[in-house]
Amino acid sequence: MGLRAGGRPPRGKLNAVRPDGSPAAAAALIRPQGLVPYAQANEEMHALAARRLAGEIPDTLILLEHPPVYTAGRRWKPEHLRWARDQMEAAGAELHLVDRGGSVTFHGPGQLVGYPILDLGIRPDVLAYVRALEGVVIRACEDAGVGGLGRNPVNSGVWAGDRKVCAIGVRVMRMRVTLHGFALNCTTDLSWYDAIVPCGLTDEGVTSLSQLAGREITTGEMAPLVAARFAEQFGLDLRPEVPATVPA
Amino acid sequence: MATVTMPQLGETVVEGTITKWLKQEGDTVAQDEPLFEISTDKVDTEVPSPVAGTLVRIAVQEGQTVSVGTELATIDAGDGAAESAAQPEVAAPATSSSEQAPPAGATPPAQAPAAPAASAPATAAPAASAPADGGERSAILSPLVRRLAEEHDVDLSKVTGTGTGGRITKADVMAFVESGGGAQTPAAGPSAPAGAPAASEAQSPPAVGAPAASASPAAPAAPPAAATPPAAQTPERPPTAHLPEAGGAPAAPPTPTLAGAQAPAPQTPAPQTATPQTAAPQTAAPQTGSQPATLAEDEELVPLTRMRQVIAQHMVGSVQTSARAWTLVEVNMENVVRLREMAKDSFGEREGVPLTYMPFIASAVDDALLAFPYVNAELRGDQLVLRKHVNLGIAVALEDGLIVPVVVGTDSMNIAGLARAINDVATRARNRQLKPDEVHGSTFTITNPGPFGSIMSVPIINQPNAAILAFDTIEKRPVVVGDAIAIRHMVYLSMSWDHRIIDGSTAAQFLARVKENLETWDFAPEVGLPAGS
Repeated sequence: MGLRAGGRPPRGKLNAVRPDGSPAAAAALIRPQGLVPYAQANEEMHALAARRLAGEIPDTLILLEHPPVYTAGRRWKPEHLRWARDQMEAAGAELHLVDRGGSVTFHGPGQLVGYPILDLGIRPDVLAYVRALEGVVIRACEDAGVGGLGRNPVNSGVWAGDRKVCAIGVRVMRMRVTLHGFALNCTTDLSWYDAIVPCGLTDEGVTSLSQLAGREITTGEMAPLVAARFAEQFGLDLRPEVPATVPA
Repeated sequence: MATVTMPQLGETVVEGTITKWLKQEGDTVAQDEPLFEISTDKVDTEVPSPVAGTLVRIAVQEGQTVSVGTELATIDAGDGAAESAAQPEVAAPATSSSEQAPPAGATPPAQAPAAPAASAPATAAPAASAPADGGERSAILSPLVRRLAEEHDVDLSKVTGTGTGGRITKADVMAFVESGGGAQTPAAGPSAPAGAPAASEAQSPPAVGAPAASASPAAPAAPPAAATPPAAQTPERPPTAHLPEAGGAPAAPPTPTLAGAQAPAPQTPAPQTATPQTAAPQTAAPQTGSQPATLAEDEELVPLTRMRQVIAQHMVGSVQTSARAWTLVEVNMENVVRLREMAKDSFGEREGVPLTYMPFIASAVDDALLAFPYVNAELRGDQLVLRKHVNLGIAVALEDGLIVPVVVGTDSMNIAGLARAINDVATRARNRQLKPDEVHGSTFTITNPGPFGSIMSVPIINQPNAAILAFDTIEKRPVVVGDAIAIRHMVYLSMSWDHRIIDGSTAAQFLARVKENLETWDFAPEVGLPAGS
């Protein structure tokens, strides 16, 4: 199912119809290099969302990678964790309880994480927003030569058959501005997922773009593709911002 | 009291799970402060409080899943003492009106002056002083006080208010009743009942706010009636046939009709139910009564309908109340017209209502109203009521006048929702099926005289709104695009606004926002087309 008609996606701007020919809404792309600790990114993301809510900054997309970390959304259950917390920490990964939708997931090197800070407007259609994010990732993966990805009728995210390649979990601040986002496995070491039941789904597995394509598809290759499709989907003029806001 | 309901977080979202209450019963909450969180699929959404107040009741506990629209909590938006001490209602009139049974209690401040004014016919002198005084005070009466006054037949103009700023409180009314004031005041006796029907008749005719343009057919009727006397003194046209009744008689019939059967007017010379607003223009009424015999043969006397009287009161009242100014913008509707043409057939089939331009305008206006809350405000005394929601009044032309039904909460509707809601109230307005509270509580009004071919209108503000927007005919016009002349679908959006509340810069910025929304928003997904089509 696509971004169905009648659903209410965040309103894109139609640059074509502006009488003065001015471009689409300006937006910022923040792309810190290296691995950004989860707590730092989480804090920064909330600060940016608050500023977006106040109208101080434009729509923003953060694309980054985390060091190994497990995060559990509001819908997590104990049985979704196969390892105890000490076990995770011994392996070098923290566990964070976070304020997004969805259950437990993993972030780590080789995974492109996207945190869109978007103003959905006064009447957000949050499901359409999730569908839109899925569409962005699906098209970006096609651009990289990985076709055949799709949605799952029951569970959000982007799937290759019964294996998930991209997880999605979102929070909407004050019923208006988005937080958290998507996590696309590019060259992720999938053994990290042994510690959890990803998204609380016992029967499905996870995969990565590199595994699917049979060649190495890095986060560096995917980031510009995702950014381009993201800008297209939301009608944004996405310009890189000096990575000062989220120091690497 | 404000009721918080499960918001709709998307067209296909039918329910949500409360994951967390961020406030507990008894907590105070500021407007727009996060109140609770709901979970739908992979999205957690933080929902802000619609009003400031005290969270008095949580109806749905954490972990429960309920459908959209389910009542989740109650917030006391007043100061808590509102009910017992009969403080003037500061809470949203729309909400409080739903709790008050009598229709009279449901009338918003603007309408209140009508009740005391109804006593005017009884005696000439009080008519001049009492309504002005009582009218002003009744404008800030709580529904409770109004209801008490009605129950005890109290003429509020005779009650001394001891509340803030001389406002009449519940205690004042009760003291007045206990002192024998209720139902005994000679003049007030008949006046109170007369006031009640006037208010309850609000059901069908109380057309508030009207575009000058669409009030056209019958509007001229009023001035000629008052202008009769001069004409009478120059009888260049001999009275002959054409009058429904014999020459001199018509003076009498209008009187009972206008005064209404329920309150036989003790005095003939005051046939009109004069109100503070209309008092001035209708001072000619007695003359009309004495000299209509000299109508020319091609002139005709037609009694003003009840609806026209109410419209007249509201229009004159609005002009006398507000400092009206006017601003106009021109909008390129190419995008909207093209989309509507592409979508209207399938939309009509799917939604069961025609796709007009009104929902697009309404949607663009809603966003701008939230961005410029002063345009969405109401002046009460020396205070402004600002809101984070929009209740749109939609002017609907009727055969014999107009009425402005209100669509509540339009800021949470998409195009399809707006189309359905607006079509619903407009249809019921034309069929006279509106409920009394459906014509009150608007925060802004839109009128569309366009179907009749006009291209620009100067509407009169629908009190107590701060502004009214008119959009007229959308038509192809030559416009300059870049350095070329092109043909585009254009429309004029004009807004009458109250200079007491906003200034020209705000009005212009507001209209610029509406214009930008209409020219740049992608409405395609909301009318059933792929985004960007």
